[in-house]
Amino acid sequence: MALDPITAQVIQNRLSGIVQEMQTNIFRTGYSTIVRESQDASCMILDANGAVVGEHVILPLHIAALPEVVRAIYAAYQGRIYPGDAFITNHPYIAGVTHSIDMAVAVPVFVGERLLAFCASIAHKSDLGGMVPGTGSGNARELFQEGIQYPPVKFIDRGEVVPEVEAILRANSRTPDLILGDIRGQVGTARLGEERLHDMVARYGLDTVLDTFADLQDKTEKRVRRVIAGWEDGIFEGEAWVDNDGIELDRPIRYHVRIEKTGERILFDFSQSADQTLGPLNVRPPLVRGCCYYAMVAMIDPELGNNGGLARCIETRFRPGSVLDPVFPAPTNTYMASATAVAEAVLQAMNGLIPQKKVAGMGGVGGMVIGGQRDDGSSYVQYELIGAAYGARSGKDGVSGVSVLLDNAKTAPIEVIETEFPVQVRRFELIADSGGAGRHRGGLAVRREYNILAPRAQLTLRGGKHTQPAFGIEGGSPGRLGACIINPGTENEQSLPSRFGGVALLRGDILRLEKAGGGGLGSPKDRPWEQLVEDVLNGYVSYESAVSDYGADPDKLGEVLRDWRGTN
Amino acid sequence: MRRLRIGVDTGGTFTDFVVLDEDRGTLDVFKVPSTRPDQADAIIGGLADYLSRSGDPAESVAFFCHGTTVGTNAILEANGARTGLVVTEGFRGIYEVGEQTRGHGSIIYDLFFEKPRALVPARLTEEVLERVGSRGEVQLPLDEKSARMAIEQLVRHKVDSVAVCLLFSFKHPEHEQQLKRLFGEIAPEINVSISSEVSPEIREYYRMSTTVVNAYLNPLLGRYVHSLDGRLHELGVPTDQRYIIRSNGGVASFETARDRSVQTILSGPAAGVVTAQHVASSAGIPNLVTFDMGGTSTDVALIKEGEPVRRMGGKVHGLDVLVPMLDIHTVAAGGGTIAWVDEMEALQVGPRSAGSDPGPACYGKGGTEPTVTDANVALGVLSADQPLAGGALKLDRDAAERAIYERIAKPLGLSVTEAARGIVEIVNVKMQEAIKVVSSNRGYDLRDFYLFAFGGAGPLHACQIAEEMGMKGVVIPPYPGVTSALGLLLSDVRHDYVHSDLRDLNDVQPGQAESIFLGLRDRGMAQLRSEGFSPDLCRFVWDMDLRYIGQGYELTVALPDIPHLLDDLRQLRQRFDEAHLQLTGHFAPNERVEVVNYRVSAIAKVPRAPLAVPLPDHGSLDLAHAGDTAVFFHDRFETTPMYQRSFLAAGMEVTGPAVILQNDSTTVLGPGQAGTMDAWGYLRVESRL
Repeated sequence: MALDPITAQVIQNRLSGIVQEMQTNIFRTGYSTIVRESQDASCMILDANGAVVGEHVILPLHIAALPEVVRAIYAAYQGRIYPGDAFITNHPYIAGVTHSIDMAVAVPVFVGERLLAFCASIAHKSDLGGMVPGTGSGNARELFQEGIQYPPVKFIDRGEVVPEVEAILRANSRTPDLILGDIRGQVGTARLGEERLHDMVARYGLDTVLDTFADLQDKTEKRVRRVIAGWEDGIFEGEAWVDNDGIELDRPIRYHVRIEKTGERILFDFSQSADQTLGPLNVRPPLVRGCCYYAMVAMIDPELGNNGGLARCIETRFRPGSVLDPVFPAPTNTYMASATAVAEAVLQAMNGLIPQKKVAGMGGVGGMVIGGQRDDGSSYVQYELIGAAYGARSGKDGVSGVSVLLDNAKTAPIEVIETEFPVQVRRFELIADSGGAGRHRGGLAVRREYNILAPRAQLTLRGGKHTQPAFGIEGGSPGRLGACIINPGTENEQSLPSRFGGVALLRGDILRLEKAGGGGLGSPKDRPWEQLVEDVLNGYVSYESAVSDYGADPDKLGEVLRDWRGTN
Repeated sequence: MRRLRIGVDTGGTFTDFVVLDEDRGTLDVFKVPSTRPDQADAIIGGLADYLSRSGDPAESVAFFCHGTTVGTNAILEANGARTGLVVTEGFRGIYEVGEQTRGHGSIIYDLFFEKPRALVPARLTEEVLERVGSRGEVQLPLDEKSARMAIEQLVRHKVDSVAVCLLFSFKHPEHEQQLKRLFGEIAPEINVSISSEVSPEIREYYRMSTTVVNAYLNPLLGRYVHSLDGRLHELGVPTDQRYIIRSNGGVASFETARDRSVQTILSGPAAGVVTAQHVASSAGIPNLVTFDMGGTSTDVALIKEGEPVRRMGGKVHGLDVLVPMLDIHTVAAGGGTIAWVDEMEALQVGPRSAGSDPGPACYGKGGTEPTVTDANVALGVLSADQPLAGGALKLDRDAAERAIYERIAKPLGLSVTEAARGIVEIVNVKMQEAIKVVSSNRGYDLRDFYLFAFGGAGPLHACQIAEEMGMKGVVIPPYPGVTSALGLLLSDVRHDYVHSDLRDLNDVQPGQAESIFLGLRDRGMAQLRSEGFSPDLCRFVWDMDLRYIGQGYELTVALPDIPHLLDDLRQLRQRFDEAHLQLTGHFAPNERVEVVNYRVSAIAKVPRAPLAVPLPDHGSLDLAHAGDTAVFFHDRFETTPMYQRSFLAAGMEVTGPAVILQNDSTTVLGPGQAGTMDAWGYLRVESRL
């Protein structure tokens, strides 16, 4: 019987409701701070083939990893998958997991003998062993230094916890209670999804549900292929850079994509990207595919389902031994900087395909950690994720002071930081002229300045764009570079690279962190006068830049400014 | 002369009135069309008409309470005051960066997204030299010269209103107070909101955003309240008991509401929750989920053991506001929501709405896009012979079916009935997801809850939704269309106070905590006294916001009695662990806990409207029977009797399928469902389990 379109739509709405319920549940029951506070966890429903049929975006790359997890489960357990099982894995190579501090949990959902689906999640863990507390070390040179690797194994076998696996997990974490609590939370969340799927089958029938799984992917595939067919055939290239891998500080890393678009097919060829890195900047192909899904959804329609139907439309090519197809056991724990650069390169290449939706380069992502001892000897770790800026978009300026693309971190309140840590925040402001000049201006970056009050501390930076700016397009200027300066304007001034670990700080040191701005779009000379004046009055563009970069008439602009300030 | 208490609730389409005769305890309810731009026109006009109909003199109005959407509309339509902002030197980024995130869901893919619009542009932001540290210590005294310069700039730029928010002002408000005095001296015409008064809580961005919203709305709400006040006087209404309901479900005098306009932005939906709260605590149905389905949106909230769930802040219309409010979740779907077919040939419902003009196709006002209401007409649930809103609207079934056929059924190859059924199914799924957000997603078990359905469309959909979700049942109040307005005659006067003091719970001295609490209580008492309440009418609620050290959010824990509880902080600690377990499913008794905020609510009781309504002494189903109609349930049309609710006496049972008619709403019972009129005049539908 043909699937009735109403029922299909109702089931699809319910699937998304189930995933949202799972998502809320995993945040509610997550045990460790990182799951609860940073919400670094995603839930999904996959069909029996491992294709995504239900998702609610938290972190887009997780969507690309779980199909690989299911494939790896089949590879290891074909014929031995039973109702009541729960599998775990954190393996980037065997199971395509993002990095080995993320743990995937997948539960097979059976209806009678028939395997209907997997309810699965990926969630960051507090510690799974390795060189440093928290597992992910910027100095790791191989996977084995990035924590214990778990290939897909049964954490629960037909309803019974496997005590050996639990014992191994417990023995290999600095925080065994937290990680086991979190894994149990993930299992419970998957069971909730399982229960809801059973209700759904009871109500609509197994065949209808299976038909809907197929139908929603087919519809997405059909739509995506139709959109692709509407684009002009051709070859389009894009590239982006990361300053360095954190170890070889002088070697910028190149990410390159060559899109071949013919008819309703689209191939993303990454083989000209840089060689794999010594440091942990490498990222595995499934996640690179995830970056392609991200760019496709963004370009076609943000409401487009990121499901197996989209995945079927994406062809990819990689070069083994490159940063995007590293050879085991190359380390991967700081893959996020690479993934962001890949997304930027892909979006840049797609600017050629979809000229009405152009996007300039982004201001980059990254975290800052200051760790040290207070005067009373107690230790502290101040961890901040500071946003950057969007590049200009067709018809629109970039967004200032915001998390970009695949990243979605919150800012840390100054009043909480100063109450909890021995530090004083001295400035928090947008940086004038940091957005690349253009008909549409790049978003402005953020400046944050700290006064260290602890007797001594160590600074680690996972930033970017201190040497490689966000690109401008169609005559727009690149965004301003980022910087990290200790004691600016003094004789002890020291400028630091964007990625490093363990720089010593002393009481009274001033730390100035400047993120990179977004790129501009179109010639700055074409920016309408009214918008330029707004920018100057708002302090987003300086008088000098308005005159020299945007070609404003100095007298006319000077008069407007004097008039505004009342200094006439 | 009668003594009348009047509640007026302004909605998008209608302004609802509830008039209580204080001595007899009888209620009159009616609606008039809302007016724009001045909502007061409908209020004054409706009130004057009522008084002339009833023959009561204006002096008989002894109490007036109002739910308004003036603040909400100003935010949605971006027509608030020209507002300036004053911040600590070097910290303009706080307001411009905001939260830095983009939220969850499809916005993450949207390369063309924008942040919520800033209510103050950077060019109207001024910096002043000053700095206070985390212990409230002055690191740099306020430089009066820089303050004067900032003020003069804002005066030159002709702002009507100013928000002042300095770092750590919740610890040391003197610098903000000093600026307020200087504004008063230099530019008394400018309305000044300072963060240490509006929202004295830690976390600078949220405090600043709240203060800005307050400044943005104050002049507008001030003018509105002033005009309404004047026109009530002109009408001859003498009473000083004039109130506006606020987002926390309590009412405030016109004067207080005007200075804290940010607290009125959920004024509209709050009153309905108050009604439900009173039903929950007085009618023996302690656990309710409110379901207020109107034309363009639906509001849901949860009431547990007679108490509505509250939150201490959140996003309202995309803006961050840190003021206590009822925890109301809104979805953009209602009777007027439009159904359409997307590019993938899938049926979609919403989020666009037909509004009231042209409205659904069945209104016959030229609407051609099918809505949820049209689907209900096509399914026979709403019948053309039973006009909506007390006769104001006649329904055109042909127009409804034509719209569904053209836009949905034909493109999808379905019958009109199948398409209509689909529209209702999909909107019901959306409603169910909204109900889950406030209930099961927060650890509450829906099997313990009744769905309290009101608003024009709530009772149409409630019975099916509650049954599918396995809820305990449904309660439909006597006047579903004016249930919100009734809440205006049930609300207490309520003022909330907060003091932030981040500290390890182990380091809190009981005496110090007690003095913070008593300080807040004294402010509340003084406020209530100034509004004319004697101390014996006042009571206080004590809360503390606590969190495990390192957490990014806190939980509010109620203290039954402060001096007693603070004697034993370990007991407080235990209550926090229990609350954490209830909400999140886990707790950590070995982790350290810190205090973030102290809260006091000062509440003054006002006389309340009765919830019970008079019922006919002996009704009968025959008398109530108003003919039969054909209604589509599950897979076919079934002959379905219609009953007039006003003829149903206490204890009478109606078995489904049935349609129960009344002036302002229609209730549908599915096959096999049974509804009983209780002694209070509430229709209760118990689930079949």
